[in-house]
Formats: sequence, C-alpha cells, structure tokens
Amino acid sequence: MTQFFQQVINGLSIGSVYALMAVGYSLVYSIMNFSNFAHGGVIMLGAYFGFFSLTLLHLPFLAAFLLASIGTTILAIVVERIAYKPLRERKAPFLYFIISAMGASILLENIVIATIGPTFRTYPEVFARTPISIGPLAIGRLDLLMFVISAVCLTALILFIEKTKMGKAIQAAAYNIKACALMGINTDKVILIVFGLGGFLAGVAGVFFGMKYTVYPQIGNITTKSFIAAVFGGLGSLPGAVLGSVILGILETFVAGYLSSQYRDLIAFVILIGVLIIRPSGIMGKNTEDKA
Amino acid sequence: MDWTYIQGILMLAGINLISVLGLSLLTGFTGLFSFGHAGFMAIGAYIGALMTVSPSTTPAGLGLPFFVGIIAGGAAAGIVSYFIGRITLSLKGDYFCIATLGFGEATRLLLNNVQIFGGSRGWPGVPYKSTLPVIVLVDVVAVLFLANLIKSRHGRNMIAVREEELAAQVSGIDVFKYKMTALIISAVYAGVAGVFFGHYMTFIQPKMFSMTKSTELTIIVIFGGLGSISGSVLGAVLLTALPEILRAFEIWRLVFYGAAVILIMISRPKGLMGGMELTPSGIRKAQLERKARLEARAEARRLNGLEDGSADEGRGA
Amino acid sequence: MKRALFVLVLVLSIALVGCAGSAKSDTIKVGWFGALTGDQAVWGENEFNTVKMLFEEYNNAGGIEVGGKKYKLEAIGYDNKGDAQEAVNVVKRLTGQDKVVAILGPNASGNAIPIAPVLEQAKVPDIATVATNPKVTVLDGKVKPYNFRVCFIDPYQGAVAAGYAYDRLNDSKAAILYDVSDDYSQGLREFFKANFEKKGGTIVADESFNGGDVDFRPQLSKIKAANPDIIFMPYFFKEVALSANQARELGIKTTLMGGDGWPSDQLISMGGKSVEGSYFVNHLDYADPAVQDYKARYKAKYGKETELNGYLVHDAVLLLVAGLQKAGKVNGEALAKALEGIQVQGITGMINISPETHNPEGKDAAIIKIVDGQYVFQEKYAAK
Repeated sequence: MTQFFQQVINGLSIGSVYALMAVGYSLVYSIMNFSNFAHGGVIMLGAYFGFFSLTLLHLPFLAAFLLASIGTTILAIVVERIAYKPLRERKAPFLYFIISAMGASILLENIVIATIGPTFRTYPEVFARTPISIGPLAIGRLDLLMFVISAVCLTALILFIEKTKMGKAIQAAAYNIKACALMGINTDKVILIVFGLGGFLAGVAGVFFGMKYTVYPQIGNITTKSFIAAVFGGLGSLPGAVLGSVILGILETFVAGYLSSQYRDLIAFVILIGVLIIRPSGIMGKNTEDKA
Repeated sequence: MDWTYIQGILMLAGINLISVLGLSLLTGFTGLFSFGHAGFMAIGAYIGALMTVSPSTTPAGLGLPFFVGIIAGGAAAGIVSYFIGRITLSLKGDYFCIATLGFGEATRLLLNNVQIFGGSRGWPGVPYKSTLPVIVLVDVVAVLFLANLIKSRHGRNMIAVREEELAAQVSGIDVFKYKMTALIISAVYAGVAGVFFGHYMTFIQPKMFSMTKSTELTIIVIFGGLGSISGSVLGAVLLTALPEILRAFEIWRLVFYGAAVILIMISRPKGLMGGMELTPSGIRKAQLERKARLEARAEARRLNGLEDGSADEGRGA
Repeated sequence: MKRALFVLVLVLSIALVGCAGSAKSDTIKVGWFGALTGDQAVWGENEFNTVKMLFEEYNNAGGIEVGGKKYKLEAIGYDNKGDAQEAVNVVKRLTGQDKVVAILGPNASGNAIPIAPVLEQAKVPDIATVATNPKVTVLDGKVKPYNFRVCFIDPYQGAVAAGYAYDRLNDSKAAILYDVSDDYSQGLREFFKANFEKKGGTIVADESFNGGDVDFRPQLSKIKAANPDIIFMPYFFKEVALSANQARELGIKTTLMGGDGWPSDQLISMGGKSVEGSYFVNHLDYADPAVQDYKARYKAKYGKETELNGYLVHDAVLLLVAGLQKAGKVNGEALAKALEGIQVQGITGMINISPETHNPEGKDAAIIKIVDGQYVFQEKYAAK
C-alpha cells in the first residue's frame, strides 16, 4: 500500500513537470494550429539562463528565476518573428510551420553544443535534498515547490485568458483567427502575447528542470513526452494539456511500478495510439479541420 | 582521395537515397509528415538480417541469399505500414505526426527488449553484402518507379491530396487510399534501405534507428525540395557527403542544418529543386517559368515605380 | 540556383584537393576516434588529449625506433559522436585516406563492433580502450584478426561486481536498475544477474529505464518496496548521479554499486552525498603509484584531472609502440601479428594479449569505494 501511495506521488510530480511544458505547447497550438517543436529548445535555454544567473551573476534564486523567464519570453518571441512570421504572412500550409519549428529546435540545441559545450552542469543546491516524510512516504521539497508553482502559473494563465480583454482576444483567435482579424483584433499582437506567455512558462519549466535533472543541451528532448501529453489531452486545450500530463505521468509511473519498466514507454505509446483511435483529437481537444 | 573511403560514402548516400525517395513521395508529394520512418528502416534491417545471417552466428538466422533478405525486409516494412496506416491515417496533422513518432519509438523500444536479436547490445555478424553496383541499381529502379508513379494519374491525385485535401475529396479522389499507397510505398523503400544499411554496417543496433534518424531523412527531403525527385537525389548525395568533407567544422554542422531549414522554409520553401526535375523537359519548363517570373517582376517594379517608387521584393517561387 | 550548384561543386573540389596531402615518410600516422560531442564527450576529449600528449613526448625524445629507424608519431583524430555509422565512416577515412598504421579507440563497444570488416579489408589493427563487450574481439568463437583491446570484458566485470557484493559485502538480495536502450548497461546487467544468482543470491527487483530518461522514481519506489541489500546500477555517471539523488530523496539508504561507467569528476559534483559509500568496479586504482606520473603530467599539460579513459588509452599507446617495435616495420598487418601474445607492463597492470581472444588476460579489477567525495581503492579483486 505504501508503494501505491508513493507511486501516486511520483506520478503527480512527473505529471506536473510535463504539464508545465505541455501548456506552452497547447497555448501556441490553440492559436496557430501547429506544434511548436522549438518549445523544447526554449525550455533548455531557460535552464541555462537560470544556471548562469545563479552561478555567474550570483543572483538570489527568485531573481534568477525571473531573469530566466524573461529571457525565454524574449527568445520565444524572437523565434516566432524569425521562423514563423514570414510563413504566417504568406499563409503557408501547416507542414511548413512544423518543418520550420523543427529547424528552430535543431538550431537552438546545436548552438548551445557549439558555444557552451556538451557537458552537464549542476545547479547549486538551492533546496535541501532531504525529503519531507509523511510516515513511510517521501515528498521531495523541490517537487512540492514545483507542484505549487505550476499550479500558481497555470491558474494565473487561465485567469488571464478568462478575465482580461487580451485573454478574450486569445480565446477568440483560438476559435477563429481569420474572423478575429476581420473584427478588428490585432492578431499579430495576440500571437506575440501567446508566444510570450508560452516562453515565460518555458522559463519556469526550464529552471525547475535544471534544478531537478541538471542542465545539458539535449534536455529539451524530454519535451517529446510533454508533446505526447498535450496530444493525449487534446491539442489546443489548456485544461486538456494539464489533464493529459497528469494522466501520462501517472500512467508511466504505474506501468513502470506494477507492469514492466522495460516496456513502460511502449505501453504508454500503445495507450496513446489507442486513445487517438477512439478520440482522434485527444481527450479534450477542439475538433477543428486541420489547416493543411 | 582514396577509393574505399569515397565508395563508403557513396554507398551510404545511395542507401539514404532509397529511404529519402520513399519519404519524398510521402512528404513531398502527398503532404504527410512522418517522424517514424527510422522504424520502417529498423524493421527492414532486422528482417533482412534474419534472412541472411547464418544459423551458426544466431540460431534464428536462416542463411538465405541477399536478395531474399531485400524482398523480405521491404515486404515486412510494407505490411507493418499497412496496419499502421489503417490505424493512423485518419488522424489529422499533428496527430498523425505523433502517431508516427509513437510507432518509430515503439519499434526501437521493442527491439531493445528482443533478446534473440541481441536487444540493445546489437546484432553483429550480419554478412557484408551491400555493394555499390547493387545499391546504384536499386536506386535507379527506385527513381524510375517513382518517376512513373508521379507522372501517372495516381501521382497527380497524390499531389492533389497534398495541396487541398478537402477539395481532392470533393472531386472524387479517394484520399485515404492514396495516403495509404504513399505510406506503403515509402515504408517499403525505407525497409529496403534498412536491409542495405544492415548489410553495409554488418552490425545493427536499435540505437541506429532513433527519432534523430527519422528527422535526418525528413531534412534531406526538405533540402532537396518538396515534390521533386531530382531534388531528393541531390539532397541525399550532398547531405551525406557534406558532413564528411566538412569534418573540421562538425560541431557547427547541425547549427547550419537548423538555420538552413528555417531559411529554406521562410524564403524558398520548395528547397533546392522544389517542384522541378532535372530532365530535359523539366529544365525547359523551369526556364520558361523563370523567364515569366522575371518579366512579371520587372512589370511589377515598373508599375510600383509609377505608384510610389517602392519596389516590391516579390516573394518568388 | 545554378550559382548555388556551382559554389557547391567548387567547395567539393577544393575539399578534395585539400585533402590530398602527402605523407612524410619518417612519420607513423596513428588514428584515433571517439566521441568529442554528446554525452560521452568528456571521455573522448580526455582520450585524444592523452594520445596527443604521449605522442608529443615520444617525438620530443627523438621519436621511436622501429626496425633500426627513428620515426615520429602523428595522431589523427576524428569525432564520431558515439555513433556507429559515423564510426564506420571515420575508420574508412582513417584507413583509406589518411593511411594510418593503427587506430586507437573507441571507448564504446557499439562503435568498435561494426568497424571490424573495414579493418580487415584495410589490414589495420585497432586497439579499443574501454569497449568491454566480448563481441568486440570475438565473434562466433573466432577471433577478429584486427581488433584488440586493453580492458577487461563485461562478463568479467559483471562477475567481479556480483562476487564482491555477495562474498565481501555479504549481500544476498540485490536489485538492478539498468538502461535498457544501452548495450553496455544491458550487458553488465545480464552478467551480474547470472553470476549473482549462481552464487546463491536473489535478484529481488530487475528494473530498467530508457536512455534520455531523467526520472527514475517509479522504478526506485518499486526497488524500495523489494527491500534489497544492494542496488546495482550499471550505467553512466550522469544517470547514476540523477538516480542516486532520487533514491536518497525517496529515503532509500541501500548501498549502491556500479561498473566502469561511474568514475568521472562529474559524478561527485552531480551526485554529491547521494553516491557516498557506494562501490564500483574499475580498471585501476587511482592511488596506485604506477599511475601518478601520468596523472601529474596530464594535469600539468591540460590543467584538469584525467578521466578513466586516459589511463587506458595510455596503455593502448604503450601497447602500440611495443607492437611496432616487435614487428620491426611500419605495417598494419605485421603490427597485428606482433600484438598477438605480446606482453607489456602498462600503468593499469600487466597487459598480456591472448592470441585466442585479443583481450588482456588475467587483468585484475579494482574495487573503489566513494568516501568523502574521493575514490578510495579497496582491493584488487579477481572473479572466480
């Protein structure tokens, strides 16, 4: 029984990591209808920004955290301006967006390899490794903090989208971006804000990631998992992304814990494809005709 | 330059070309984006090896001639792709991408665990059978088959699916059937490439067929030009040879790849040879198009000049 | 379009011409390859630096004498990113174009296996450093004529780890966590498991992860529930540090044990207290007087500590030089013949290349314990 509850905690913790990344994906998808593969690269750079703010600039943790998130916000916008804006203006098919995103992802990862180097870097220990113990159960301090911050960020994001005028514009753009433009909404600005928000979340995710799992250029690859989670939940839906992440986290944990760790990812993929057969747009996905 | 070294690179280029041609049909002509073709290569490589490896090396080996391996490898990949297609081809856009990604990774993960093939430790002792003349021969056959297919009614229907799926559907094209055909053909190509790859390396390991490999193949197609067979040929040869020549700058190689992919997409999305073919008629057509474009641009500039003096850059292509 | 093609053709032809440099007759060209980028770049860089340093030292001393003539040594190194296909390309380039007499490296078995046919065709021997898979030198019970190595092999390493855990640490319940997508990890796990069970121990949990994974808590929680005496972690330092940290976070206090993928400066900086008190099987004792001189020379030249691979490539160079001198001529085929049965005192022990297996026979393994962030030698241990 102890193991069961411990696995639930593990699953939730892994799920919340996925969620932080998946929401960034889904946010962009809801507006642009393509998967922004460069998101992983932005997260990776967020981890580096945080690392260097702590070690080179000797900033306190919160300042480093903020600086990293601002850095990734700018980075995400720059990527949008360079790699996607020309395509948007030309109304290029969705295939080109994906390819361009893939190029951006390769570019970011390899620039880091070529300049900063391929070695692993360890964050200075901000939080003690000793876990909080509840009976035989152990909860990592960092995991707890990450869970709280993820929840805060996601709630703030949902409030922003539900309550503000800009949020309404984003919702409208997600519904139908062409009609929005006709109604006089500055869609370019909406897209900018969306990428900025996605970038900010990438920074948050990146710093946590770095603290938890060290920093190295390929760390962005883990976002493949969050991409899967986002698809699971339904691309374009924020609650879907969170739900998908938690489900994937728990699923992986339980497959590894009770079935077979050797076949964990295999089983996860099979279930994923199963879900897609039954619900082709994920659990909570918006059922749009694809742009291409 | 030493011949064995050049020969090695040419063979690799030829092997890459086989799978790139298949992917070119799928992505370039039919508009489906796959992240899992390394999985089909893996199936080809393992099934092919299963046929040719001598039973003394691996108990499972059958010790059959190489051509049996080629046929079996290609066929196995094709059959698997049929089932994958049945399940995933009705998915749209990104959902199809993720499904192919899932397939590719699942194949690799499965092979990691299959101990009769050595699991992740790999399978040494695959006979060295891939020779340059055979590879070139297969390349030629592959190109000819593809060129004829594209020229036929079926090829045009596939392009229609790429351009406007809905419109194609409305005008009576069986979209699913054409997607399926493209997928199966591309999988067979990838499978055959896998067989040659295994018999070139003499050692296969699930690691070799990772998502990176799938991405690499797609990049070659993009470089060469979506919807151009000659582009794919050029892309495969150049992109296999270039890294060898530029060994000294290798850490910057992928930086260059990434930047170039973005640049191609935003400026010349059709790649090196997009939509054009290096055949006499293709060149003539391209020249005519180019002339027409230049004239149109000159005309536009003249008109613009009359209006406000700002010359339109004219997003060509 | 045409211009772009023209430029490409130009670049190609320049590259072709540029490559066709002529070799000086009084130099012996030796190839090296390994990973200079990627996960294992730390080790690749360390190996190549060591090779360059040793060659420079030989050359400064006037070169080496082969068959009554003095030769300088020249190292030509390439990065294969730890990739098997690149390994084949690189070896084709080294043997075909650069015309090397011998090749040193690589450190990964998966890269050392596929190069065998190329070596055989070119008649150039290769001395692998830490490629521990038995199939690197022997396939189908037949020794590969041009593949050699200076390290012990996985079955031996697995037997040492299992034997030490069972006999010396008196552990009878072991758990294993391994990387299912990695050849090295799968190999060690297999031999550890077989030997540990043969001794009478039980494997209470046998869990795995996939390369690139960063979270091991589901597997570790399962291992915790199985309550083992020791956890065997046969994989590389990055994952070792991450999984050790997570194990401690879950409140697992069990001793950890690993293989030669562990030793690295980064293990201590990343794993810190979590790997304290752990044991691993190594190729040598870092405090051994025999290795101190090399260690100091490396530190003086490159300003950082050498890694494990440096010691082994050091001995690979000694082996190469001894082989060339025994052969009496600069020729790959003769060198390969000379290497069979050769005996060289290396810094990692006596290297006695067996003609049947091309492995260094009877090389003891060293058991190292991590104490206060230091690698402390326990004993030389041979598996029985």
